This record gives sequence, C-alpha cells and structure tokens, in this order.
Amino acid sequence: MAIDLKKSVSNKKTIRIAKLWDALAKYIITFGGIAVIVSVVLILLLIVSVTLPLFESSTATPVEATKLADSVVKARPMGIGVSMSADGNFVTSYVLTADGEISVINMRDLRVIGESKVKCPGSHEDARILHATPYGQDQFSLLWDNGAASMIEVKLADKYDSAGNRYIAHDVYTRAGIEKVTGGSPVKSIIRKSEEGTVTCAVLLHNNKIFIKRIVREEDLLGDIIEKEVSFLLEKDIPGQVTSITMDEQGSFLFAGTDNGAIVRWAFEDDQESAPDAEVTTAFIDKRRITSLVMIFGDVSLAVGDEKGEVSTWLRVRSGDSGARKLRKIHSLKSHPDPVVDLIPSRRNKLLISLDRGGSAYIDYMTSERHLITVTNDRPLAMVSFSPRGNAMLGLDEKNNLIAWKLHMEHPEVSWKTLFAPVHYEGYDEPDYVWQTTGGEDFEAKFSLTPLLFGTFKGTLYAMLFSVPLALFGAVYTSQFTSYEFRRVIKPAVEIMAAVPSVVIGFLVALWLAPIMERWIITFFSALITIPGIFIIFMLCWQRLRHANWAKRIERGYEFMALVPVVLIGVFVAYEVTPLLENMLFDGNFKQWLFDGKSSCWLTNWWSGGMRYDQRNSIIISFGLGFAVIPIIFSIAEDSLTNVPQALNAASLALGASRWQTVWRVVLPSAIPGIFAAIMIGFGRAIGETMIVLMATGNTPIIDLSPFNGMRTLSANIAVEIPEAPVGGTLYRTLFLCAVLLFVLTFFLNTLAEVVRENLRKKYGRF
Amino acid sequence: MNRDASKGFWRQGEPFVWATGTALSITLIIMAILLVVVMVNGLGVFWPKSVAEATFNDGAVALGEFQKDSKNNETGEEEFQFKTANRDLDPQMQDFHWYYRKNLKGEFRYPTDVIVMERMENGNFIGYIKEIKAVNVESIKGETDASRLRDAIAKTHARYESEVGTILDKTSGLADDLQNIRYAILKVKYDSEQIQLGKRSGVQAELDRLGAEMKKLVAEEERIKETSDELVKEQELYESALRKNSVIMADSAGRTKEIPLVDIVRIYQPNNMGYPAKVWHYISKVFELLTADPRESNTEGGLFPAIFGTIMLIFLMAFTSFPLGVMAGIYLREYAKDGVMVRLVRIAVNNLAGIPSIVYGIFGLGFFVYQVGGTLDSWIYPERVAAGVSTFGTGGIIWASMTLGLLTVPVVIVSVEEALGAIPMGVREGSLALGATKFQTLVRVLLPMASPGIMTGFILAMARAAGEVAPLMITGVVKLAPTLPIDWKFPFGFDRKFMHLGFHIYDIGFQSPNVEAAKPMVYITTLLLLLIVLAMTSVAIVLRNKMRKRYQIRSI
Repeated sequence: MAIDLKKSVSNKKTIRIAKLWDALAKYIITFGGIAVIVSVVLILLLIVSVTLPLFESSTATPVEATKLADSVVKARPMGIGVSMSADGNFVTSYVLTADGEISVINMRDLRVIGESKVKCPGSHEDARILHATPYGQDQFSLLWDNGAASMIEVKLADKYDSAGNRYIAHDVYTRAGIEKVTGGSPVKSIIRKSEEGTVTCAVLLHNNKIFIKRIVREEDLLGDIIEKEVSFLLEKDIPGQVTSITMDEQGSFLFAGTDNGAIVRWAFEDDQESAPDAEVTTAFIDKRRITSLVMIFGDVSLAVGDEKGEVSTWLRVRSGDSGARKLRKIHSLKSHPDPVVDLIPSRRNKLLISLDRGGSAYIDYMTSERHLITVTNDRPLAMVSFSPRGNAMLGLDEKNNLIAWKLHMEHPEVSWKTLFAPVHYEGYDEPDYVWQTTGGEDFEAKFSLTPLLFGTFKGTLYAMLFSVPLALFGAVYTSQFTSYEFRRVIKPAVEIMAAVPSVVIGFLVALWLAPIMERWIITFFSALITIPGIFIIFMLCWQRLRHANWAKRIERGYEFMALVPVVLIGVFVAYEVTPLLENMLFDGNFKQWLFDGKSSCWLTNWWSGGMRYDQRNSIIISFGLGFAVIPIIFSIAEDSLTNVPQALNAASLALGASRWQTVWRVVLPSAIPGIFAAIMIGFGRAIGETMIVLMATGNTPIIDLSPFNGMRTLSANIAVEIPEAPVGGTLYRTLFLCAVLLFVLTFFLNTLAEVVRENLRKKYGRF
Repeated sequence: MNRDASKGFWRQGEPFVWATGTALSITLIIMAILLVVVMVNGLGVFWPKSVAEATFNDGAVALGEFQKDSKNNETGEEEFQFKTANRDLDPQMQDFHWYYRKNLKGEFRYPTDVIVMERMENGNFIGYIKEIKAVNVESIKGETDASRLRDAIAKTHARYESEVGTILDKTSGLADDLQNIRYAILKVKYDSEQIQLGKRSGVQAELDRLGAEMKKLVAEEERIKETSDELVKEQELYESALRKNSVIMADSAGRTKEIPLVDIVRIYQPNNMGYPAKVWHYISKVFELLTADPRESNTEGGLFPAIFGTIMLIFLMAFTSFPLGVMAGIYLREYAKDGVMVRLVRIAVNNLAGIPSIVYGIFGLGFFVYQVGGTLDSWIYPERVAAGVSTFGTGGIIWASMTLGLLTVPVVIVSVEEALGAIPMGVREGSLALGATKFQTLVRVLLPMASPGIMTGFILAMARAAGEVAPLMITGVVKLAPTLPIDWKFPFGFDRKFMHLGFHIYDIGFQSPNVEAAKPMVYITTLLLLLIVLAMTSVAIVLRNKMRKRYQIRSI
C-alpha cells in the first residue's frame, strides 16, 4: 500500500515536472520565433537610427550672455572672436577695440584673463583703428587712422600648467603691415599673406578707387629671398560706387561689389606691375546694391549679400562654346527680411553666417543650401564670429552685450537634395550627380546617391537579362520535359551551383573571364547570333532525324544533352568568324571603333564613337551576377512549375494538346505567380550582391548605360568606403543610408514574393 | 506522311521544347567551365613545371617556365610567355616576360642542372649553382652540387631553428608579457585617476599602494624591454653568422646573385625529376599549403591562418545561428497556430534570407562592434577606453561570427521546418496519445527523427558562412593577422582580427601589387574554398535526400 502511494506521488511529481518543462519550452521556443521578427526589425531600426542624425535640425543654444564692463570696452569694439573646447565646458572670447586693445574674457565669469595691445605699423603709439575686417576666426585686417594698415592674427589655445590645470593662452601676431596708404582717404582694408610670404593689401578709398600694394617674395636663382614692392590703383571699369571688397586667402584675386548690382574681379599675377584688367559682371539686373562680399572656404565660391536681404553664392563657370569663365549664380541661401550687412564664412567647411540690419544671423550651408539656424537676439547683433572648431558662435550687440551660442550642426552638408538631385559643385560647369568623398582639406564632399542607385539597377538589369531567360527556360525544361532520374540529378547540381561562394565567382569573372572577354568580345556578340542560327539549322535537320529509333529516346527528356554540342558548335563558329567580322566591320579593332567611330564599312560607320571599353564592364557583371542568381531563380521557378497539379497537365494532354502546348497554355499560366516570385527574389539577390560587383567592376560611380563600362553599386560602395569612414561622420551615416536603401528595396521585393507564393500555395493546396 | 510529320514538329511547338533545353545546356556548360577552370588552374599550381631554355637570334638566352602562346595585341605577331622569375635581377622587377617567336633560334632546351629555388623574398630564382659558401655548418655531403646545396640548406635551417628559433619563441613570449604589463599600467593609472577625481572612494593608502604597484610595473616593463633588446641583439648575431652561409647562383645571362641559405625555402630540379619525385614535391607543397604561414604578402607559402580563421569563424557562428534557427523552426512547425503571427514570422524569415549580406555587415559594425563591443569595453576595460584602446569595440572574430550567425539563421530555420514537416503526423499523435507532453514528444521523438534534416541545415549554414566575405570585410577580417584568434586566457582571443579564405582570395587577387605572380595562389585558395563549400553542401544534400526517402517509405 505504502509503496503504491509513494509511486503515485512520484508519478504526480513527474507529470508536474513534465508539464512545467512543457510550458517553459513553449515560451522559449515562441521566443525563438519572435526573435526572428525582432532581428529583422532590429536590423532596420539600428541602421535607420544611425542615419537619422543626417537629417536632424541644427540648434543654437545660448550659453552665456553678459554685458561687457566699461573697463573692457574703453573704445568702440572693432572685432570679436570665440573659442570653445571640444567638450563644451570652456568658452573663451576676446574683444578688439578701436584703441588696439585685445581683452581675452572667460565667458563663464566674464573675468578678463589676458590683455594685449596691437601695435600700429611704424610705431605710432596713439594710432586708433578705423576699421577692422575679420577673416576667418582669427585674422583681422586693420585700418589705422594714421593711414597705416596691418593684418593681425589672434590665437587662443588650451594649455595645461604644471599643476595640470587648464588655462587659455592667447597670442597676437602681426602678420603684415604697410605704413602708408596713398591715393586717397581709406575706408576699408584687406590684407592677405600667401604661403610663400607674398603680402597683398587692398584698400578701398573714399574716391571709389582701390589702392593695391603687393610685396612679392621670391627666391632668386641663388636661393636668396628677394622682396619686390609694387603698388597701383584700381580705378578703371568700375561701374558704380564700390560697397564691399573681398580677397582670397593667397591674395591672388580681388572681388568688388557695387551699389548698382555689379561685381568686378581683378586677378593679380606674381609679376603684376600695374593695374590688371577688370572683369565686370552685371550680377543683378535690378541694380540692387551689393552690401557684402566674401569668399566661401576654399576660395572658389563667392558669397554675395545684397540690400534686398538675399544671400547667394557665385562661381566662375565655363559657359557657351568660347570656354571663357563667367561668374554665375549657383546657390541661393535663405533670404533675410532686411538688407544683409555682413557675411562670415566658416574656415572649416562651406558654412556661412549672414547678418542682416535687423540684427538676426542666419547660418546656412552652401552646397546643400540648407538653412541651419536662425539666431535672433533681443537687441540687434552688430558683430558675429565663429569658433575655430565650428561649435560655437559669438555675437556682440549694439549695447556691448556679448552672447555666446553653442552650435549643434552635425551634418550640414547633406540634404535630400544633395543625396538625390543634381547639385552644382565647385569646379563643375553644370549641376551633376556626383559621389566623391575624399579630397583635400577644403574639399567639397559630394554625396549623391543617384549614381549608386543607377549603378545598382544597371548591374541588376544586365544580370537579369542574362539569368532570367536561362533560369526560367531551364526550369521549364527540367520540371516539364526531363526524365525523373535526370531531375533528381539536376536539382542538387543547381543547389551546389547556388553554394559557390560569390567571392569565387567574382574572382573568376574579373581575373579569368574579363581578359578573355576583352579579347573575344566580337565572338561573344557573334555567338548571340550563331548559337540560335546553328540551333535552327539543327532543328531543320532534326525534323528528318527524329523518326529514327535512337532519336526517339533523346526526345524523352534528353534533348539538352544533344544540345550541348549544338551550343559548342555555335560558339566555335562565332570564334571562327571573329577575325573576319572584326576586320570587315571595325577595321580590325573593335575597341578603337567604339572609341572614335572610324570605320570603312557602311554597316558600322554611323557610330559617332566616344565610348570607352573597360575590361571590367557590365557584360562581365551580367555573367558573374547572372551566375549567382540563376540557381535562385531556377529552383523557385522549378518548384512552382512542379507544384502545378498533375491533373491539369494530364487533362490538357488528354485533350490532344502537345507537350509544348500544355506547358505554354496550361502549366505556365498557372505557375506565373511563382515565376514572378522567383524573378523578384533573384532581383533582390542581385541588388545586394557585393563581392562580385566589387571585384568585377571598376567601381566608378558614373551614370552611363553602356554595357562596355562598369558601375558602382550601393553594396560595393559600402564595402569600398566603410573602412575609411570615421565613426559618426557624415560618410559613415551616408553609408548606413545606402544600407537602409538596400534593406528597403530587398524587403519590398521579398515580401512581395512571399505574399505571392503564399497565395499560390493556398491555391494549389486544394488539389 | 513524312511531310505531315515534320509540319507537326513545328506546329506542336517541339522546337520550343528544344529551345528551353538549350537554356539548360548553356547553364550546365557555364557551370562546368567554372569548375574546370578552377580545377585546372588550381590543381596544376604545385606540379613542378619544366624549365625551358630559349636561345634567340641575337644570342640572348632566356630561362623560365613556359606559360602560354599568344598573339601580340598591337603587332599581331606570335609570342610566348616565360615565367623567368629572378625578380631582383630584372630591371623592371618582373617575374613574367614575353618573347617573339620569330626571334627564337631552334627549339627549347631543357637543361637538367637548372635549379628552381623558392625564397623567402623576391619570389623564385631560376638558374644554376655557381658556388656554395657554407662556412658555418659541418661538412656537407652530396654527390652533385644540387644535393650538396640541399644538404647545406637543411643543416643551416636546422641550426637556425635551434639558435634563432628558440630566441624567437622567447621574444614572442616577452611581447605578450609586455602587452599585459602595459594594460596593467593603464589600469593602475586609471584607478588612481578615478580616485583623484573623486569618482571612486579611496583613501591615500590606496593611492600609495597604486603608486607602488605602478613603480613595480614600470620597472618590470623596463626589465622586459631590456631582456628583449638583448635577445634581439643575440638573434642578430646568430643570424648574421648564419647569413654567411650562402650560395652564388647564376642566371641564364650569367648574372650572379648571392643568396643566403636561410632565405631559401626549398630547391628542386624540375628537369631532372622523375614522376615519383614530382608527386612527392606536389604532396609536400600541399602539406605546406595546409600548415604553413603565408609569405611574400600572402602570395606564397601556406594558408594555415586563413584556414584556421575560417574554421574558428564557423565554429563560433554556430553558437548564434543554430539555437536561434532551431527554436524558430520548431516554433513555426510545432507550436505556432496558423495565423497572422506565423505569416509575419515567415515573411521575416524570407526577408532575413534576402537581406544583402553587406547590410548584415553594416549592422554588425553598428550594433555588435560599436554598440555591444563598445559597451563591453566600457564595462570590462574602462582604463583602456580612457587611453583610446579598443578591445571589443573594434572588429573581431566574435562579432564577425555573430553577424554571420544572424545571416545563416534562415538556412537553419528552413531545414528544421522541412525536417519536422517530413515526419508523419501519426508519429506525433502516437506519442501524445501515450500521454507524453508536447515537449516530451518534441525532444524524445521528433528531434531524433529530424536530426539528419537539422544536420543538413547546420551544414548548409556552415557552407554559406564559409563562403561569405562581404560582411566580414567590415567586421574584422584582415589580410594578415599576427596571431591566431584563440587563446587560453580571457577573452580567449575572440576579440582578435582574423584571416579568412574568402577574403584571402579578394585580397591577393585584387589588392596585391603583383597580381600576375599572385595568380597561382589565388587559384589554389579558390580551389580550396570551393572544395570545402561544395563538399559540405554535397554532404548536406545527400543527407537530406536520404532522410526524405526514409519517411516516404515509412509513411506508406
């Protein structure tokens, strides 16, 4: 009894444990199922989340705002500057006043932490500054009331003292100076010092002339440095009153804007002795007053602010047939309600601050034409300045209040427009789609995804041209006409074909096939004609031969074996006629003909040339990618064809239809959704394939449908560029955007295919 | 009669049937070509090629392995290519040269005393022995110059192994120690900084202790550096002595080159080798391929690190892919009720299978490497993060394998589903009717029955992982990894970068400076990878077909 009781207790226990396990397993396994959905969603969410900052709006947060003490601004402020540490904890600014004093101020507590005095050239201690033109974050061209002009540079640097405490060191350098401006009373000066040490000074005078003085440093034959001074007046061909002038960093050209909407340009050679010719452009037909001119970082684009509040950038582009460069408006930035009074370019990228008379400042990015930030203040701003890191902005209003803003502008160079629309880049003569991510320091990064999308679809298109007919017809043949034994061999063979690593295919087509194709390209094209030709001849013969007993056996599902020699003969004939064709049609050199279009044969002399033959081209891609997707299309199409109920087939044959008629009219229409799904999935696979395109194309991002050159696809682009992309940078995020595009494209295709197949399964599940 | 029949032939659409057959033949031909090209080019690489001597009309002589005949692209004249090797004697540093047939005087000759020498640097040398200068080894034996040279090389290598080899072992051990000490120093520095900044509680005593430890570590570092410097000096001494053992070789033009014996990997006389000798040479080369490290920027030597990296990668991948795939497969077939959920999971599976591998790669980079790896780093090694050193936060085999794991999950799911689906319902019903719970049925009945099918999925997933390259390129594969990605200490080398056969193909085929010279190696690597993948796939397919048959019979 007792034993029995024990047994039943232990049984109950066993059952309880079993049930517990059962319940637990259910949850764990369900978790596994859901984890798959989660991973798909997670992948999408993660890559999207990386790209989001690209489109984040920029912000300016006021960090410090205080009135400057009178002791600091004993005279009128002429210039300001700011520096913010990378962590944003230390903001330091300085103010340059008319008496030449520079006061460095810790913005946290408004303590003056350093003072310097700028000396006037020629040691006039009591000279005062009449006008200061800022350049970049730290340079000022000063005009003194005694007629001297100089250029100074103010440097703020984070330093650590011996105790490890941080402090800000400041240095003021006078880079260049001239003692006397002649030719009239000066209004405004600009001085630049080039890398070689050539100093160029341009001073706008009251009498609408521009005084130029250049001190050219040259090395003579003996290696000695000689300085040559030249000065002249620019006065000819100025169509109106000059309102503003600007010069490039090297001092090699000068722009002047007038009060009647004209822009004048002078270029200085190293050996310039007298005034150069002026190049006058009527920029605005409505003769509006140009109020401010400045060169965008890189010294290629000219930013123009006018009295209507419009800000535009201009480029000298080659126009018409003459090839002469003419100034043309390229980008229009956000318009101000009031006249523009000042433009301040960043010295790191193509950012531009524009300040209007109403005192609000706009920060815009030139290339993307993105308006990033509108900075307004209670009182109108009189002056603004960028920090060298570009992370802070400083403004000074009329009442000597100093305000610092922390700027948050992560990726100003990217907008939907730069990603997908043509953009007029510096150095280009017209708007274009360009992907180019590396260049010099003042390089304008070009992030157009259009050529990549184009390349993706081009590669896929060529691959599909090759693979779809082969795979589909092959699937039709295998599922409908071959013998059962053979089908059992061919399906695993195709699966093995699918397993061939893409890196192997890529390597073979790029290093083995591409050189062969380059040599035998004519053979390839002739084979497209000779194989069908030989096939037709073979068919004509076959209709006589097929009644023989041995031939009947072939027609029971072994046709493809008889066809192998037919195809090979077709290729052989193409190979034999190649030299003949090439000599006859292309004067013996197809590539040359492709390039210059010269031919003595009437059949081919219509071609105007201009096409280059790259060894790694779209034909190679169509073989490589095609080989990779054939097994995919083949097996899905074969499955859906085989799954068409035998009853349909049998009924059709019983009604007297031939085997081809049955397939064409009965089987194929029933399996169409499956075939569609097969093509969709194959398409999706071709779109995302990386290694083959990476290896077998030149990876040049061009927009050209020609089969004789390559492309760069989204996937290859990621593989090529990601090793050089700094984490969190614009390129990094743009590459993630490429991945998002790929994901979305393939997700769409695969979901579509899956839905179609699901319906097909349901439909034929009934049979 | 005949005419009617032939009319019917066209009317019934028979030619179309034949046309579809053409598509299949073309596909099969292309596939065959692929396999044949890889086989022919790959298998032939290690077979010792005869060295031909060509004499030209102007008296010049060229010595090299005959490559191929061709027609010059510009002049259209017949020419042939020799692999003349001796890159260091050629003004253009080329291994391959083209010659015009018309300049050839007479036939090729095959001198028997030609030596082909594989070297550590500058590729092969083809030429004749002029003088053996073996001063540092005991008497060398041999009847011919070649056998004497072989003996001298063997003895020099043996001495090198015993003298320099041991030093190298010691220095590599010291390098590890040095790395560990540097990390320890970083840790101490970080700890004391934390205490100073007040972020961690600690008293002066603690700081003092850290200071003392720091001093000890720095002294230790110094000591190791000194020892290793001494060892390096000693090594140089030995090496310079051994490098005096050399051979002076002459090429066909009589130019001589002195080659230290330690730089010679092996020599052979292809024109003087019988069939067994060639087979033996072939086998030893294959052995070298499978076990040795690569040389000459991966274009010569072995593939061992790449093979090891590939296997390790697949092994680690299994930990992500298999459990997730099996669970999801079981869920779909055994647990889920037909409905929206199943549809969604199925769509997700299909999408997971269709997402381009490069997208997986970039996901692996963004999620595994930077997010998961970065977080791990800041938990485990905050001191290294502070010093800007990433351990997990940079590409490594663990992240690459997890990325691949995710990529291969759909393969496993589909196979598991199919395997479970093939089991007749009666089996389940029988088990349940006997009172087993669903889980018991699954574990004790269904899974054992489905195991060949599940195995198929595993093998297919591994084959897929072996062939994928794109996602690895951004998650941690490198062209040359200094150490194997395995270790006995945490983190077991899983954070290391690794080499991979597929990437090896891409790297040496497309990134190497001398593509022509690298070609044999690319083909052999391709062949190896293809063999591995195709063998795995074939095994999987055979397993699956066997299983299918088994249940077809049972269900009757």
